[in-house]
Amino acid sequence: MTEVIAIENLTHSYQAKTPVLDGVTLSVARGEIVAVIGLSGAGKSTLLRCVNGLVKPTGGTCRVFDTDVAALSESGKRLLRRRIGMIFQEFNLVDRSSVLTNVLIGRLAYVPTLASCFHRFPAQDVALASACLAQVGLAGYEKRWARALSGGQKQRVAIARAMAQEAQLILADEATANLDARTKTKIMEIIQDVARQRQAAVLLSMHDIELARTYCTRIVGLRQGRITFDSPASEVSEADVDEVLRRNSAGEQDDET
Amino acid sequence: MKFYGATPPASKMMRPDNMPRTEPVTGNMQERMQSVRQNAGAWFSTVLTGAIAVWAFHGLQFNFSHLSTGIARQSSQLVHLFPLNRGDWFYDLALMRTLWDPLQATMQMAIVGTVVGALLAFPVSFAAARTGYFPRPISNLVKTLLNVARAVPTLVYALVAVSLVGLGSPAGASAIAFVTFISLGKLYAEGLESVAPGPIEAVRAAGGNSVQVFIFAMLPQVLPLYLSTMLYSLEYNIKDSFIVGIVGAGGLGFSLQNAINLYKWQDAGVIIFFLVVLVNLVDYISYRVRKSFS
Repeated sequence: MTEVIAIENLTHSYQAKTPVLDGVTLSVARGEIVAVIGLSGAGKSTLLRCVNGLVKPTGGTCRVFDTDVAALSESGKRLLRRRIGMIFQEFNLVDRSSVLTNVLIGRLAYVPTLASCFHRFPAQDVALASACLAQVGLAGYEKRWARALSGGQKQRVAIARAMAQEAQLILADEATANLDARTKTKIMEIIQDVARQRQAAVLLSMHDIELARTYCTRIVGLRQGRITFDSPASEVSEADVDEVLRRNSAGEQDDET
Repeated sequence: MKFYGATPPASKMMRPDNMPRTEPVTGNMQERMQSVRQNAGAWFSTVLTGAIAVWAFHGLQFNFSHLSTGIARQSSQLVHLFPLNRGDWFYDLALMRTLWDPLQATMQMAIVGTVVGALLAFPVSFAAARTGYFPRPISNLVKTLLNVARAVPTLVYALVAVSLVGLGSPAGASAIAFVTFISLGKLYAEGLESVAPGPIEAVRAAGGNSVQVFIFAMLPQVLPLYLSTMLYSLEYNIKDSFIVGIVGAGGLGFSLQNAINLYKWQDAGVIIFFLVVLVNLVDYISYRVRKSFS
């Protein structure tokens, strides 16, 4: 298996004192679905954002597709990001745009800036966007307004957006946290399908351990910026989970970073 | 106790996440001191507000002893505003003909002022907004300039415009355009600053550049706000274009000033009536249009 993400001894701190990530070493290969579980504020979101360069780590290295993310220029980062799909807890759709426009955002880095400003996308991009929508079960929703959709539908549009990027790596930041139980499993199934179909690597952050056990190949525990365990989903013990999800210091709950 | 002041309680803010909790006893003590201090603060601001109100009312030295004679005199003049018991249709037609142009000029001033002001405000709002497109010192400077310029009343700009462009509605339109530019520049900048960050992050995560971030993530969020604020300022500018007319910038305001100077009270009444109708008409239309896209 080829490694898509190779993180070595990654550290990051927003303020001088408290590190959010404290020496994280992690690798993700093609076809793997890796869940990072941990409490809010454990550093999961920051870890994911270091992978696509939205956050610049203060120490350590993060290599994605065999390139050092931190060493890339701004345009180099954009070229990397277009190969990485990202799904968010809050869906992050543009509410006042159509579903199709939201999916086409996944194609932005592939079209010239000026043409994209006038919403002129190549016909094959539009066809691809429609195909992605059909794949997440939203065929015919192209002209609807994003704000008129339900939470589960919004997240499916967001997945279609990531698929339209033809990404070989998908990052999902608490992608199911805002959804009800049935929608959660549906979304996880779609993510699993996408990963299998494209042989893509998937790195998710979540705190629902049951969901992680069902749909992921590997589970990584993150607590206060440190990895507590990293094992195949079937081998994760209750003790491991308790260790990572135990709430003893109230501060950890306070802010989502 | 919850206190919605400017700063959250220090106990919540200062403690780093991974530090052990301070002992409960001292913690309680601290919290109690905190709440005493907050109570004192709340009392102080209440007393201060009361004192300011007393100062304001006392300082004006209301004197209502003239009120009875004032009402009598004013009402005898107000009666002249209304065309009662008359059938001078030729006069009415002549008046309509003389007021038709100023009425149009008032509307034209408001419309031209609003459109020009909004077009100027659009690029400047970028410089003023703290969104990272411009360096922070520049946006602070532009914002300060806008705030300073906003404190000057429209009438002053109208006087300046009249002396620059000369008497008439072009001067009024320029003054209104400038005032609109300033207030919309500030409001548009605030709109840009209050854009939801999620879609911006999504476009960036997909590899979009900053131009695409603006077109796809920001513009759809601010455009309805831009248009509705523009229409709102049109409503406002109809009234303003009347007022700038009084200092010689044309339109109905100028006619009203003339009518009052010549003691033509009925003309003045008709002009005020026109204004009331016009303002309400524009308010209603603008309200309907704003509703249609919000």
